Amino acid sequence: MNDKVPNDPDIGSLETEMNRGFLHILVLTLLEKDMYGYSMVKHMETLGYKVEENTLYPLLRRLEKNGWIASKWDLTEDRPRKFYGITPEGRTLRAGLLEVWKNQNRVLDEITKEMRHV
Amino acid sequence: MSDKLEAYLEEISHFLSGRAEREEILSEIRSHIMEKAAEGPGEFTDAAIEKAIAAFGPARKVAESYLDESRPIIAPAYKRYLFRYTTLLFAFHTLLTIAAVVFKQDFILFPFLFMPRLGVIEALMYLPTAFLADLGIVAVVLYFITQSGKDVKLPWPKFAVDLDEVKPPTGKLLWSRIFTGIGAVVMLAITDFALYLFAKYQTIIFVNLDWTDPRPLFTPGAGRRISLIIITGFAVSTLTLLIKLFTRSRWVDVVNSVISLGLIGLLLTQPFDNLFAVRIAENMLPKIRFAAKFTLLFIALMTTIELVKNIVVISRRKLAKIS
Repeated sequence: MNDKVPNDPDIGSLETEMNRGFLHILVLTLLEKDMYGYSMVKHMETLGYKVEENTLYPLLRRLEKNGWIASKWDLTEDRPRKFYGITPEGRTLRAGLLEVWKNQNRVLDEITKEMRHV
Repeated sequence: MSDKLEAYLEEISHFLSGRAEREEILSEIRSHIMEKAAEGPGEFTDAAIEKAIAAFGPARKVAESYLDESRPIIAPAYKRYLFRYTTLLFAFHTLLTIAAVVFKQDFILFPFLFMPRLGVIEALMYLPTAFLADLGIVAVVLYFITQSGKDVKLPWPKFAVDLDEVKPPTGKLLWSRIFTGIGAVVMLAITDFALYLFAKYQTIIFVNLDWTDPRPLFTPGAGRRISLIIITGFAVSTLTLLIKLFTRSRWVDVVNSVISLGLIGLLLTQPFDNLFAVRIAENMLPKIRFAAKFTLLFIALMTTIELVKNIVVISRRKLAKIS
């Protein structure tokens, strides 16, 4: 056993790492209905999930670049807004990511159950 | 429109320069900040915009979050080769520099290197520049390899000393301090004795060990100059050892090497004619001159290698801390 004093757990940076994948799924799920960036931030906040604005917008850009979401500017309101919506390719990706996520959860649940009997 | 918002967007724009979609990105950030600033109670104020900007983050960080897809300048797998290859290249470069000094010749390795004929002081001044040039060449090569996106397996001889593995001694700190302390005491005694001799005889180099009738090796002027240079060298070594009792910083060694190189340079520039106070056969003089020059250049080479090694280790540690 290592007798070194362990570092304090830095949940903040690990959470950022974990959120990176989760945010992809979350955004692709939210965009089943057309939304603009700010409305997504607010919506996530109401669900108790805080997203950094400077993380969300670059992610939207990357998803759009890959063809998983599409965007269009709405200039009819008093303020211009860029709305995003999921594409068929994005739905396929979301299904794949959800499958991965569910599998990870299942593995973790099973290991936790096994550990209870140790 | 708020001046603060425009200044913020301008700053992001500066960091995004060259990106085709820059305007689109800025429009979206502007839209977000305006939306957020308008959300609070009361009027749409500058304070609200400032708050929204602060929440969005510093301009450079925002711009970088859009740029993070790009390939690194040098891939992490090749980073260690930056100093590995620079060390090899610089060792070769140093050898050519020494050859240029000793043989008084120009060298051209077309199209890579032109090595002009150099004097000793010029060579010492040239070496740090050569190191930076070598570092730059290796960095450019690794940059192109990284940008090619190919998995190039870079060679590294197994027998070569890997500076990455140069680590500070972990245990036995007490013994290391004891030896450093003994060294410091010995060097202090040597320096004191040299100062005593210099104060009494104006030189520290003699051809006999008879203190009742000492015979200096060099003529008075040359003996004084050379003795002072050597005493300075002793004093610097003593001081280095004393400082190393309290710190293990490699910067101490770097400063010691730089001063030593300067002193060796001074010794090499001393005029050789009318140097000796004792009679020496004419045919021996060129041989003594060559041997003295060769010895000093060899010491200079060893000191330079030590200097580069320490700089590389310091740089690697700094890199490791940054990454």
